Amino acid sequence: MFELLHKKFSEIISINEEELNYCKTLFLPKKLRKRQFLLQDGDVCKYQAFVEKGMLRSYRIDEKGSEHILQFAFEGWWAADLSSYLTGETSVFNIEAMEDSELLLLSKPSWDTLMQHIPKFEHYFRIIIQNNLVATQKRVIQSHTETAEEKYLKFIQNYPGCVQRIPQHMIASYIGISRETLSRLRKRLASHR
Amino acid sequence: MATKKTIAVIGATGDMGCAFVKALANSDYRLLLMSRDKNKVGKLSATLKQKNPAADVEVVECEKEGCWEADIVLMAVPYEAEKEVAEKIREVTTQKIVIDVSNPLNEKYDRLITAPGTSAAEELQKELPNSKVVKAFNTNFSTDFTPAIKESKQIKTFIAGDDQEAVQTVSEMATAIGFKPVLCGNLSASRNIEQMMLQLIELKTEENYNNIIGWGQYINGPLNFKSIIR
Repeated sequence: MFELLHKKFSEIISINEEELNYCKTLFLPKKLRKRQFLLQDGDVCKYQAFVEKGMLRSYRIDEKGSEHILQFAFEGWWAADLSSYLTGETSVFNIEAMEDSELLLLSKPSWDTLMQHIPKFEHYFRIIIQNNLVATQKRVIQSHTETAEEKYLKFIQNYPGCVQRIPQHMIASYIGISRETLSRLRKRLASHR
Repeated sequence: MATKKTIAVIGATGDMGCAFVKALANSDYRLLLMSRDKNKVGKLSATLKQKNPAADVEVVECEKEGCWEADIVLMAVPYEAEKEVAEKIREVTTQKIVIDVSNPLNEKYDRLITAPGTSAAEELQKELPNSKVVKAFNTNFSTDFTPAIKESKQIKTFIAGDDQEAVQTVSEMATAIGFKPVLCGNLSASRNIEQMMLQLIELKTEENYNNIIGWGQYINGPLNFKSIIR
């Protein structure tokens, strides 16, 4: 249940068995079935989720009812609405399982406890948040400056090996183009190969 | 929109489990039913869906699987069986709310079998050291869950637990099925709450009160025994 999390920790910090066992007492193991929610718009985001198996997506629904996907989270990734998680304010996001998923959830009190008890986790989470900040900044500027084709190619690059698992209309929603535009784009790229 | 909470009910076909499931099926929870009696639990699920097609109910074979999916676990098994169940679900209930409804009574129902200075809920907490055990509903007879009795009087349920948020969640659940929650303090208050059921059973059998008896009042400090009959 904790194999992947342990592996991911070990990529950044070294933790011994005792520390790992302590860590295990703070995570809430949760299975979600496809289309079930971890978080819904209007709720407070109580957990950061580490994906052991499966896939999540976080998205927002606008006033017209259209979905805008912020992030996909695959095995080994973290997902949360950090703003709501840190402030306790209600979230505007939905986090949904796109496949049957196995998650390890970390509440804010447990997160604080973990970092107080084993300070090197401060380092681990700094790296995680740092990477996320860089990715988010890139994504914001890309969405303003790049063409649909560039965005699509970056997307494939950022989610290697996972693109097949995501329905096309969700990729379109993530990039911020219509499904039809994506379809034309893919055809054009395929014919160039 | 609030995210729907999933409750795993272990012992769903027992007296208490069944009463719970029937009450909860009409509220906004998703229920996973587990029972050793596969035939009976299948029938229970079918009946609930027949009565209320919107009921979000499902039978799960394995306790561990059901609890892994759940946000809240309701242990509606006899006290003696709790240890064995705890063993199976320990790994998947870390940080989760586990509700203990048991009464650790002897065969004659006239004595508690827990040692002095502890309670069934505290013993369960020892078995599930990383879960948030909450004591609740043990002073309620299964008949308390039927609407007829609730109309004449709002029945109270006494809740104890060490984790404030967990107590709050169980309290909301109690309200959702028509009870008035009374918060009694940390988990060691279960010693009193379990004793309260013993008192009720004594009155029920000796005075022949049957199911018209229940706890109606609780005042801060010592228990008010005059108000034991509602």
